[in-house]
Amino acid sequence: MRQRYALRVNGETRETEAEPHESLLDVLRENLRLTGSKKGCNEAECGSCTVLLNGRPVVSCLVLVPDAVGRDIVTIEALAGDGTPHPVQRQMVEQGGVQCGYCTPGMIMSAYALLQENPHPTDEEIRFAISGNICRCTGYGKIVKAVRAAAEEVGRAAS
Amino acid sequence: MATRKGLGIGSMYYGIGYGFSRADIGSAEIEMAEDGTTTVYSGACDMGQGVMTVVTQVAAEELGIEPDQIRVVAADTGSTPDAGPTSGSRATFVQGVAVQNAAQELRGQILDMASRMLECPKENLHVRRGEVCETGTDRPLVSVGKVAHQLHFHGRRAAAWGWHDNTTQDVDPETSQGDAYATYGWATQLAEVEVDTETGRIRLTKLVSATDAGKAINPVAVEGQIEGGATMGLGYALYEQHILENGVPRTASLAFYLVPTSMDVPDIECEIVEVPDPRGPFGAKGVAEPATIPTTPAILNAIYDAIGIRITETPITPERVFFAIQEARARGEFEED
Ligand code: FES
Ligand code: FES
Repeated sequence: MRQRYALRVNGETRETEAEPHESLLDVLRENLRLTGSKKGCNEAECGSCTVLLNGRPVVSCLVLVPDAVGRDIVTIEALAGDGTPHPVQRQMVEQGGVQCGYCTPGMIMSAYALLQENPHPTDEEIRFAISGNICRCTGYGKIVKAVRAAAEEVGRAAS
Repeated sequence: MATRKGLGIGSMYYGIGYGFSRADIGSAEIEMAEDGTTTVYSGACDMGQGVMTVVTQVAAEELGIEPDQIRVVAADTGSTPDAGPTSGSRATFVQGVAVQNAAQELRGQILDMASRMLECPKENLHVRRGEVCETGTDRPLVSVGKVAHQLHFHGRRAAAWGWHDNTTQDVDPETSQGDAYATYGWATQLAEVEVDTETGRIRLTKLVSATDAGKAINPVAVEGQIEGGATMGLGYALYEQHILENGVPRTASLAFYLVPTSMDVPDIECEIVEVPDPRGPFGAKGVAEPATIPTTPAILNAIYDAIGIRITETPITPERVFFAIQEARARGEFEED
């Protein structure tokens, strides 16, 4: 049965109607038209639907809408909300970390979550943080480089 | 844990384009607006390989204007001429020339008008960084934007169509002899692996790839193709297996069909080899598939180097290595540590 839900998405409360068994991903994409998060597999294998739930990266295809109520949801749309790309986004472009782009939003969310928690990650930690995000195009090297460069940029700005 | 290291090499050559007399054409339209901004209508479809960037760069280079003055409309049957599929590592090699041809004709139109405006023979002019310049001194005489405005003002042509036919001869049907492709790409890779002889687990620890790009129009994109291609080759060697049972896929999800993750891919050292190919745009040729092909043999050879056993079935899963070692042991052919 369809029910009303109030979701806190990117700092705003958004009202929507959905079946309780619908995924957060579907509601973000279809109801709220936040189509930045991608649906690669819909079964928690690819990571392209990654969003932050209370600051932690989750695959939104595996979160039921009722479970997202009362939590802070951050999607890729929030990262350049003011029109300025986040350093991770800019470095993905700079370093050539984007090819087809399908993995990119999820990849960026995982990297962003990592940098929130660990502003000076090693390459190994970066690789681990994005290991749930499958990329078929790049071979990951340039993505790791981009996250490293973004960490340095954030570090410089903070000091 | 008993681990053994091994090194292996894989080499290949690969026909770029369709070859064997199969139709292999590229076509593009190009149009310069009144202010000099230029639109390329290119049929080549970009799925992440970077052909839109290549098309932009080729047009900019040929016209002598900056890439940010160029807009590409791509792969739309409603507005772009047919350039065939993006496959066979052909997009840059074939479509690049079509775009270059279109841009060359447009450059001629610009120079004709500039020559009229400046009352200076066309032969003494060339375009560089958005300016029509005096040949020899590179002295800028008039901006391309102003020339474009005059072309439009006088109702002259500021548009061109470029076509490139890369179709080759077929080989001899009797002997299969002949030159089947317009050109060939070459690549060699070196793989370093660690094999755990107790569990059969294989780790690829380093990969070095030398790929012939003819001319790297966009070196970052070329590296991206090489790294991504080698990663597919790694998956093919160690993880990926599509199982069909009576026509039903048994590996119908990414939980069973394993694609390499960031934890599986080592540092890939890219060596771009540049031997310009006269048939490609500015000497470039295709690199995409050539980067994938040598990886699997390089890894297989490295495993052989490490444990002295030739495994000929992919993917080389830990089970396969484990049992291959058991069997070799039973035959007394496995060299113990
Ligand atoms: S769509 Fe959610 S993990 Fe693939
Ligand atoms: S860029 Fe294509 S999947 Fe990552």
